[in-house]
Amino acid sequence: MSDLKGAGKFFAHYLRKYWLGLLVVLGLTIVATYLQVKAPVFMGDAISDLAKYLQVWSNPATRAQASKAAFNSALIKLMWFYIFNAVAMLISSLIISQIAGRSTGTMRIGLFRKMQRMRVSYFDTHSDGDILARYTSDLDNIFNAMNQALFEIFSSITLFIGMIIMMFRQNVTLAWVTVASTPVAVILAAIIIVKAQKYVNAQQDDIGKLNGYINEQITGQKVIITNGLQKDSIAGFMKHNAKVKKSTLRGQIWSGILFPLMQGMSLFNTALVIFVGSSLVMNQQMSVAAGLGLVVIFVQYAQQYYQPIISLTSLYTMIQLAITGARRINEVREQPDEVNPAHGQELTTIDQGIQLKDVHFSYQPGKEILHGVDINVDPGQMVALVGPTGSGKTTVMNLLNRFYDLDSGQITFDGTEIKEMDLFSLRENVGIVLQDPQLFSGTIGENIKFGKPDASDDEMIAAAQQARIHDFIMTLDDGYDTMISDENTIFSAGQKQLMSIARTIMTNPKLLILDEATSNVDTVTEAQIQAAMDNVIAGRTSFVIAHRLKTILNADKIVVLRDGQVIEEGNHQALLKENGFYAELYHNQMVFE
Amino acid sequence: MKTFMRYLKRYRSDALWATLAVAVIAFVTLWQPHLLQDMLAAILKKDDQTINQLGIQLIGLTILGIIASVFNTIFSARAAQGVAADMREDGYRQIQKFSFEDIEKFSAANLVVRLTNDVNHVQYVVMSVLQQITRIPILFIGSLILAIITLPKLWWVIVLMMVLIGLVSVFAFARMGKYFMKMQTILDRNNMLARENLMGIRVVKSFVQEKSQIAKFSESSDEMTDTTIHIGNLFSILMPAFFLVGNLAVAGSIMLVGQMVTSDPGALTAVTAFVSYLMQILFAIVNAGFMMTGVSQALVSLNRLQEIYDTQPSLTFPEVPDENLSGAIEFNDVTFTYPGDEKPTLQDISFSVKPGEMIGIVGATGSGKSTLAQLIPRLFDPEKGSIEVGGKDVRTVNEHSLRQAVSFVLQRSTLFSGTIAQNLRQGKPEATTTDMSWAANIAQSSEFIERLDKRYDAPVEERSANFSGGQKQRLSITRGVISQPDILIMDDSTSALDARSEKLVQEALAKELSHTTTVIIAEKIASIIKADRILVLDHGQLVGMGTHHELVRNNPTYQEIYRTQKALEEA
Repeated sequence: MSDLKGAGKFFAHYLRKYWLGLLVVLGLTIVATYLQVKAPVFMGDAISDLAKYLQVWSNPATRAQASKAAFNSALIKLMWFYIFNAVAMLISSLIISQIAGRSTGTMRIGLFRKMQRMRVSYFDTHSDGDILARYTSDLDNIFNAMNQALFEIFSSITLFIGMIIMMFRQNVTLAWVTVASTPVAVILAAIIIVKAQKYVNAQQDDIGKLNGYINEQITGQKVIITNGLQKDSIAGFMKHNAKVKKSTLRGQIWSGILFPLMQGMSLFNTALVIFVGSSLVMNQQMSVAAGLGLVVIFVQYAQQYYQPIISLTSLYTMIQLAITGARRINEVREQPDEVNPAHGQELTTIDQGIQLKDVHFSYQPGKEILHGVDINVDPGQMVALVGPTGSGKTTVMNLLNRFYDLDSGQITFDGTEIKEMDLFSLRENVGIVLQDPQLFSGTIGENIKFGKPDASDDEMIAAAQQARIHDFIMTLDDGYDTMISDENTIFSAGQKQLMSIARTIMTNPKLLILDEATSNVDTVTEAQIQAAMDNVIAGRTSFVIAHRLKTILNADKIVVLRDGQVIEEGNHQALLKENGFYAELYHNQMVFE
Repeated sequence: MKTFMRYLKRYRSDALWATLAVAVIAFVTLWQPHLLQDMLAAILKKDDQTINQLGIQLIGLTILGIIASVFNTIFSARAAQGVAADMREDGYRQIQKFSFEDIEKFSAANLVVRLTNDVNHVQYVVMSVLQQITRIPILFIGSLILAIITLPKLWWVIVLMMVLIGLVSVFAFARMGKYFMKMQTILDRNNMLARENLMGIRVVKSFVQEKSQIAKFSESSDEMTDTTIHIGNLFSILMPAFFLVGNLAVAGSIMLVGQMVTSDPGALTAVTAFVSYLMQILFAIVNAGFMMTGVSQALVSLNRLQEIYDTQPSLTFPEVPDENLSGAIEFNDVTFTYPGDEKPTLQDISFSVKPGEMIGIVGATGSGKSTLAQLIPRLFDPEKGSIEVGGKDVRTVNEHSLRQAVSFVLQRSTLFSGTIAQNLRQGKPEATTTDMSWAANIAQSSEFIERLDKRYDAPVEERSANFSGGQKQRLSITRGVISQPDILIMDDSTSALDARSEKLVQEALAKELSHTTTVIIAEKIASIIKADRILVLDHGQLVGMGTHHELVRNNPTYQEIYRTQKALEEA
């Protein structure tokens, strides 16, 4: 129910500006429906008039008075009604296509905008696939529902009401006969929908488990091959497959039976109307011509009477999916934005250095990762953070440009707390080279100029040279204009990292952060990247996180983190002399005995 | 398509009953207007008795129709489920015959999609074909014949209606095709933009490029909106146009009947039936159009499944008796090229290893280390030359014997959901708790397993999310050593271990598995420094072989790797 309310708000928000269009659609639907339910009356009239004409004509005495004028006028009215009906349908369908298309576009861009404003923690705690599905299947479902269901709902409801009114005006007894089976049909439909939902849910559960099994097994196929486990794997599959076969059969029968059953009900109702109608005409002593017309009209109604019910039941799943889609997009819309202080201070230079004072931080409440970390960085210094996996190195980096905010303590640049600074000014001046650098679709040049799109080509080439990637780029046919994307890249892992370094050099950051920038490459490539990194670090305040100690031996200061606390601090020589944790790490990793 | 018919044949009787039931439904639908026509004639004649008779016939007929539709649904679902389950099973069985190369050719993710989504498409279409499509031709042809019998003089009205519907469809769909192609391209681009921004959100934020990315995405999204609306407009024309054509045909027929009613009075009662048949023809054509889109999608899926069935496993093992293989390994002039590559990954490699030796393999990324190791358990076949294990060419022994002798610990440690014990028993099905703790002691995994509540029965979650990278690697090594194999291959499988644990694993391996031939592939020289021999690979060639001390002295490739890893003061 809360889903429904949320979905209502969601659609109200996005459809509000199309109120006029929707109103026109509603009006046109009513017109089209009126034309549709009125048409059978003219058809009945035409047949009645023709029958009367025939009777008059058949009698030689009255043949001269036989006239087809009434027949012709009924027929012409019928044709105009059909034409206007088509025009009304066309116009409302065109309007709906515009509204559905435009509002889905607004939703899509809104979702993207929201994504750019949200906090990093959301992305760290939700899978990419799940977020992406909101762009694809959820928006698709919403669009389909708006495009198809909107008109169908309007027209089904008005058609249903219109038809009932028309029928009762034509003949009360026959109208009662036509609607008599409705409660049976509605109850039947409700029972089947409830059952179908239950069994389809069970079916989806089993399918999910089977898909999970297939996914896990085939992704781990190499282990299966190397351990010769193929037979066991097939045995496990068979169990899941048999279960799915059974539960899907049930689900499909219950969900598949609704439509044919409703169509059967429609045929049955038509038969009933023909039978009862004909008997009635005989017993009520009305003229043969009028009786004939009446039966023709009600056969038309009976054939159409179930259409709205059938459409509404077949729309049920579609609407359900749209409501789920709206809920999932709403979930994203309700996420908190990043906080940017009003009138935050601009970051221009780093003259006095950076201080971390008694920094406490936790990703999840109650599970503190950093327990009072103090680090002092003088301007121009290179500080290295080392420590075992899970010691909190990367967490410190996440705090420096406010991907996350502290629990307590403070981080200051030249004495100003970063919370007080303009968020964007802070980030523009803090450059990060990540472990797994993402490149974007576009040309190589666009990727290097990523942080400074208005840079000149000379600046770009200078950055590429400093990052030692220029020579490679020049070997490509299209040079800097070569199109790349992250998935389909011409770069090796090491070259990709050089690209990311060039991209960072372009922005000339005041503070540089290198987060395990070489952990995905072999040590020979690492040495090449190291040379490029030395170019960037020179004369700049920088933080370097390293998995392999080789890359940080020259640091001005090495900070050793363990379990979220600083346990040692000093330069390489001093720390070796101390003969503590760092010295052990170093000997294990670097010294070959 | 041929394969598909083979599957459908297995459910021949279900499909047959479903089709029969549909035929009954179609017959009922067709016969109703005919009875109506008789009924109207009876009213004209004021024949009470005929009316009653016809009424009972009408109602009996529709009840028959309802029963038939229930049966049709049940049998259709049975056939569809049967076909889907069988296709999925055969696909899965086939994949289990695949080699590394076959898996890589398709990619694991792609195979999963084929077994899930593609099978679903086929299932859905089988269901709707059995429920609907047989009904469409029956209704179409039946209505056509009955309409012509009812009012033979108006045959040309039907033809005219069909031609007009055809023209409208051709007009709309020809235009739509162009937009559909464009739509697919835009859709792919849009998804790529969303995906890269999602994965690179830290990059976007740290370079403060939110606005430029929004502009880029908006442009692409607007183009998508425009295309959607173009397609929507074309669709908007279809339905009203179809109905207009059908309705005008109805009005036209009545008008024509009015002209001929004096010479043919029967036409008056026939016209309602004729009009019903006209509508049936119209619906049949429209439904056929919608069905075609579903069927064409299923054909694509069917082809994708067919590709799996048609893939001949690139490796097959001979059916020969089991044999015990010793730990000796021999490479004779081996050259290997990955399919599609121009340059060979390995070139003219020859060396031999005695049982119980410890061999290290080093080289830069892409030098062919992993490929070399994967040739030993015959995960690939070489292009040239031969590989022997225990003195036997690996192509002449059966799969079971080879897997028994060689244990391979992969670079990416994969565990399956279940329990720790279930995962370890993949290495040795009859393993006892003693075996497990022995192996866990070697792999340094016992320290964390012992701390778990259920120890070896502790659960492993999906994607082994409840273990850290280092723990996963240690469990994977445990699984690799539990069978005390003759040959143990570790493909960079200690990369996530800290230096201390790695050392302990190596020491335990040397002590507990001293008779096992161990092949260790490593990035770090520290991992293989104690090997009896080290093979140095460079661009697919074996450029050096010897102990660490020998190589440091005389091998330039090794020296460069060493230089990048050794400590300052040793330089």
